[in-house]
Amino acid sequence: MSGALPRPQEGLDGPPDTRGPTAPVPGSIFALGWLALGLVILGTIAIILVHAQRSGPISQLCVDQKIEPRAEGARGVCSIVESALSRQETFVLLAGIAVGVLAMVGGFSRYRSMPSRRQREHCIAGAVLGIQAAALAALMLLFRGGQVGAFASNFLNLSYVSGRIGDFASAARITLTLAFTGEIGGIVIGLFLSMLALSSRRVVRAPARAYINFFRGTPLIWQLAFAYFGVALGLDVGVISPLVIAWAVFSLNTGAYAAEVFRAGLQSIERGQIEAARSLGMSYGQAMRYAIVPQAVRRVIPPLMNEFVILIKDTSLITVMGLVASQRELYSVGRDIYSATYNATPFLMSAMGYLVVTLPLIRLVNAIEKRLRSGLVSIAGAS
Amino acid sequence: MQSPDSSIIRLEGVHKWFGNNHVLRGIDLALNLGEVQVIVGPSGSGKSTLLRCVNLLETPTLGRVTFEGRDITDIRTDLNEVRTHIGIVFQAFNLFPHRTALQNLTLPLEKVLKLGSDEARERALEQLSRVKLEQKADAYPGQLSGGQQQRVAIARALAMQPRLMLFDEVTSALDPELVGEVLQVMKDLATEGMTMMVVTHEMGFAREVGTRMVFVDGGVIVEEGDPREMFASPRSERLKQFFSQIL
Repeated sequence: MSGALPRPQEGLDGPPDTRGPTAPVPGSIFALGWLALGLVILGTIAIILVHAQRSGPISQLCVDQKIEPRAEGARGVCSIVESALSRQETFVLLAGIAVGVLAMVGGFSRYRSMPSRRQREHCIAGAVLGIQAAALAALMLLFRGGQVGAFASNFLNLSYVSGRIGDFASAARITLTLAFTGEIGGIVIGLFLSMLALSSRRVVRAPARAYINFFRGTPLIWQLAFAYFGVALGLDVGVISPLVIAWAVFSLNTGAYAAEVFRAGLQSIERGQIEAARSLGMSYGQAMRYAIVPQAVRRVIPPLMNEFVILIKDTSLITVMGLVASQRELYSVGRDIYSATYNATPFLMSAMGYLVVTLPLIRLVNAIEKRLRSGLVSIAGAS
Repeated sequence: MQSPDSSIIRLEGVHKWFGNNHVLRGIDLALNLGEVQVIVGPSGSGKSTLLRCVNLLETPTLGRVTFEGRDITDIRTDLNEVRTHIGIVFQAFNLFPHRTALQNLTLPLEKVLKLGSDEARERALEQLSRVKLEQKADAYPGQLSGGQQQRVAIARALAMQPRLMLFDEVTSALDPELVGEVLQVMKDLATEGMTMMVVTHEMGFAREVGTRMVFVDGGVIVEEGDPREMFASPRSERLKQFFSQIL
């Protein structure tokens, strides 16, 4: 290295990259870490896919693993067992451990002597990836010594879900529709309630507090059961779909939580804002509408989206209402198939269905929160 | 309602308690049209509370405030209407951060004075150019310096065409090099004959622009008179002490 300090380059947007150049040694450790992890994960998937091509009666290996040859889906379960216990899999796992340990030892022994930040980070990342790959492979080796057949039959018998994809899809639609409409209803109720709860007059505040405390203080499952069996059926208010009752209860319940979110949001706006608005001659209502609420809404978006994620999962509680097949949401469909088959694969399918929706939402909330934290300009500039 | 004198605002026997804290202890004060009254005093003396009692941002616990002869402490007074005639500028600017500089001005013009959007826009731009910020009309408050934000806040108050302007330590939150531009706007305003009530720590401004000075300490008016005379020969011990601490 020459003695000259790096300088920002002319005509470049953004700050200069001061982390230093890449170099072959830490680069190769980084690649080694990824290789180990890729070997274990992608290798296993590839082996399963190859074995899945097989057809015909199940092998002696599977019989030894106590798989009933004539059971539904036995061939598919057997393929998974065969792949898990295959020699190729043994090789992949041992190779993953070897490469992972290599990356770990190489990375941790050399990172301190790396001359630039980028190289040091590559060394550390390679070592950590190596540890993860070795640990994962070791776990899978351990698992192979256990009851692979029983595990695969119970959790990975895809024949129980493959014909029901359509059911899961329409169940997912019901889950999402319920959660979304419930959230909208809750936001409307919550905004209204929060205004009442913030009133300086006790007679206005008290009913709002009572409502909020009741819905926050009783279990949602009780509210659903009571509204459906107790009110809708008990009072014989006519034929109302349980989904409509569920929507109403979700709106009422979410309304109580959203009210607290809005109240916190409204109270978080600086006192000077309402003072400025009132000093300009605005009424309390005008000040709220034009000055306070627009600012508060921006601040409550992340907590409201968190509420939405919670509501998506809570829609599963409508299972207590005893639904007919066409009304079932993700959890009920999985549990129903389980009841008919005593096989847990549909449960896993339900979980996948929830995660497909909630994971992107959780990422979105985090992204928005990060954006909001980065300052007022970006909040204001967003409009 | 006949005004007994020419004062635009009059405080009579005003007391204010915050809980058990007796902040204002009997204030009598009058302000004539065209006057620039400067209120000075140590921190915690109650001068900001006094100013905020003028447009009833703080309701006096006891006493009466009259604006143009009307008792505005009377609960039946339409305060929203009264406040359109009294502009106030705050230490913390209090611009609406979700609206551009121009929209900060047009919002009350459209919603309170019920002007059409074209007229509101025209009046707003006129006031922004008065504080030399017409080129920042579309900037959000977060994109402006403190001095610029405070000038927008002054323009926002002026756009309502108030008959009285209140300034509550408007330069205290500004970096030293930005104080001058805000004071200049206030000087120009005084020269044009605006009636002003100014709580400030800027003694140079008080002496140069003030037509009357009020020294508040411990929630009472200790001394009042011509600013230049008060600076030259303070009568009370407390004012002498105050000057010796800040000058």
